[in-house]
Formats: sequence, C-alpha cells, structure tokens
Amino acid sequence: MSSKILLLFVFFLLPSITAASEVHISAATSLTDAVSELVINYEQMHPDIDLQMNFAPSGTLAKQIIAGAPTDIYISANPKWMEYVQQQKMIEPNSQQILVYNNLVFVGIPNSKITSLQDLLTLRRIALASPQSAPAGKYAEQVLLAAGLYQQLSADKKLIPAKDVRQALLYADRGEVDGAFVYRSDALLAKQARILFTVPQELYPQVAYPVALTLSGSNSAGAQEFLVYLLGADAQSVFKRYGFIAP
Amino acid sequence: MLTLTSVDLQAIWLSAKVATTATLVTLPFGFALAWLLAFGRMRGKLLIDGLISLPLVLPPVVIGYLLLLLLGRQGPLGGLLKTLGIQVIFTWKGAVIACAVIGLPLMVRSIRLGMEQIDPYLIHASRTLGAGFFDTLGSLVLPLSIPSLVTGGILCFARSLGEFGATIILAGNIPGVTQTIPLSIYDYTNTPGGEAGALSLCLVSILLSYLVLIINEIIMRRSRRSVRQLS
Repeated sequence: MSSKILLLFVFFLLPSITAASEVHISAATSLTDAVSELVINYEQMHPDIDLQMNFAPSGTLAKQIIAGAPTDIYISANPKWMEYVQQQKMIEPNSQQILVYNNLVFVGIPNSKITSLQDLLTLRRIALASPQSAPAGKYAEQVLLAAGLYQQLSADKKLIPAKDVRQALLYADRGEVDGAFVYRSDALLAKQARILFTVPQELYPQVAYPVALTLSGSNSAGAQEFLVYLLGADAQSVFKRYGFIAP
Repeated sequence: MLTLTSVDLQAIWLSAKVATTATLVTLPFGFALAWLLAFGRMRGKLLIDGLISLPLVLPPVVIGYLLLLLLGRQGPLGGLLKTLGIQVIFTWKGAVIACAVIGLPLMVRSIRLGMEQIDPYLIHASRTLGAGFFDTLGSLVLPLSIPSLVTGGILCFARSLGEFGATIILAGNIPGVTQTIPLSIYDYTNTPGGEAGALSLCLVSILLSYLVLIINEIIMRRSRRSVRQLS
C-alpha cells in the first residue's frame, strides 16, 4: 500500500523533474491564435522546452504578474499595462520592445454602404469593446472623438460597449449590430462580417504590443531564446498572416 | 473610502431593478414547475428536472451565448420578437431574461423542497372533503409553500444581483442601460487605477447581498411561526 502511495508521489513529481525548461508566457487575448501557432512550431524545433501559455486581457495578466503568478514573458496589448508592471519593478526594463503593431478597422455585414467614418451616423447600432476596460474600445472612442462623431452617436445611444473586442466582433458577425470597431487581426476571424473600411491612422495612437521578460524570465535561458524567436523573421511572418504588422 | 460616481449609482439602481423584475417574473414559473416536479405524475420527469437544473451547473457564459443565438436577429425566437417589435438584446430586458434563466433552478429547487415537506394526507384530505384542484392549490399548497417561495425568491434575487457571464453577452455592457454592479466592477478592475471604484462597488455588493440574506432570515422566522399556527 505504502509503495503505491510512493509511486503516486513519484508520478506527481516526475513532470517537474524531467521538464528541462519550463517557460511561462502571458499574452493578451488578441494574440491567442498567432502565439499558439508559434508555440507549437517552437516546441517542435526545441522538444526540451515546455512552453506554458496563459491568455487573458492585458490588465488581468498585469495584475496576475504583480500578484506573483509564474510568468517569464509578458506580451501586453497596450503600453499602459506594460508601464504599470514596470512601475511595480516586475519586469527587466532592458528587454522591453515592440513585438507587433495592429490597426483598427470597421467591420460589418458586407452589403451595407459604409465606406468611411462619416457614414456611421446612418447606422443604428455600433459595437465597440468597452472603452473602460479594453484598449481597443479606448482607441475606438478616441477615433470617434477625433472625427467629431462621438457626441452624436453617444447621445443617440447607438454605441454598444461589449466585454472585449472579440465580443464586439461576435455581435457584428451575427448581425446584432450594424458594425463594430475591431482590430484587423480580429476582423480576419469573422465568418460573415467583412472589413468595411480601415480607420485612418492619424485619428488614434498606433496600436503597439510591447513584450518584455519578467525578472524570473531574465534568468531563464529558455525564455530569452523564445523571445529572440518571437522577434525573428519566421515568427513575424506568422504574425503577419494573422493580420499583425511587423515593427 | 466609499466613492460612488453617478454611473455607479445607475449600476446599483439597475442591479436592483433587474434582480427584482427577474425574481417577480420567475416566481409563477418557478411555482408551477416545482408543483409539476413535486406532485406531477408523468413520464420524463427526470429529463425535465435535468433541463431546468442545467443553468445551475453550466458556465453562465454558455447560457448567455445560447440565449444570444436564440433571441438574436438571426435566431429562431429573435425573428418572432422582431415582428412583435420587442427588442431584447442590448436592453435591460435582456439582463432580466439572463438572470431569470439562471435563477430559475435555484427557485424551483427550494420551492419543490418545501412542497415535498407538505403532509400528503393533508392534500388527500382536502380532495376527499370535496376541494377541487385549484381550491387545494390555493388554500393548502400555496400557503404552506410560502416559506419556500420566499427562500426561492430571495435566492433568485441574490443570484441575479451577482449575474455576470450571461448578462454581459446578452445585454452588453452599456453604462446606464445594462451595466449592472458586477459588469461595472469588471470594467474597473480592467482600468489602471480603477481599484478605488472597484472596491467601493464591491462593498456595496457585499452590503446588498448581506442585507438580502438577513431579510430572508427574518421573513423565514415569521413565516415558520405562521405556518405552525396554520397547521
């Protein structure tokens, strides 16, 4: 009996002993598909490295890191949360750089006659990620303010804040709203909705995804190597395929 | 410590409105379904029971998503609602529906439990003394079920106050329209520096729920006393 219990213990301990190098990656939700593919590619090339992925909104990830959750590489969907983590002295400042860029587009069911921001006033309902909690929503709000449309749309109660950018996309894809502001990388995932127009870049700050090693990551050779891979040409071509833009 | 903006106050008011409406809407359905499960003699009772209880164990986000598919513009019920001119999605009515579906199993369970406690001889006696179905229901089952109706209602109300996953999908996160307390807290926790706002609403949330539970206890004590007098 006691030998069985011992065996059980060995099984539980085994993975932590045999895993040569475990690297924990915390990445913003919008990167889920691209980073998952990169992780699979990388693990095939380096079977000795075990990459653990954690996808959540950037703010949630930042708070997890500060609370001490095991993280070696942090990829945020906006520079603010990266700054927040940096202020708490949880990341290695020298390792921080821009991984990819994204841009904002307006999606909707293809047959609509919407080709520019001014046409939005003719729509009944427009979804965006909640400007309070999601960077994509904040950018969309800035765009509408800069274009002088925000007050009108907001007064007419036409703006529908969704939980996050993917939910805004879901509403547009199912025709619950006439259109939605989403990232280009999300728009490519839609089944029915199509990009109706790209939002002019001069109306909002560039959407940057900063990446950095955490303090524990800066001591891990595996984490450093994977970061180099993420910034390399192979990985960047995968990001491009998912709608991101290389720095 | 407690700093509430006008949007926060709207969220609190909206939470109360949604939870109250959801509870009142669910009560008659909850009572009927509980009666069916407690006294009904039909095939497939187990299946009905399972179906009603599903929202209790499914992730709320699944319920929200299924309701969106069902009641959405392209959904089977959505088209019907549209021809009737009823807008559910992105309105507070959507939040009520989400809360009602999720609160229903809690309500049915507690009312059913109460009904099963009723002495079957009382019901037999009332029927043999000539009382019809509705007479027995109205003058025997209903009054004896009041404590469990109260508990069921309060459980449903409390669950509705906390509903997040289904509401945010079906009703959206629109400040002043569908943004209830949990949705507002979610927004705060995802805003850098939103801690004070989040904690204030957490405190309101705790106070409200605590108040509801205490009121439940007081009503329960009173009704237990009156039931004792009745029987």
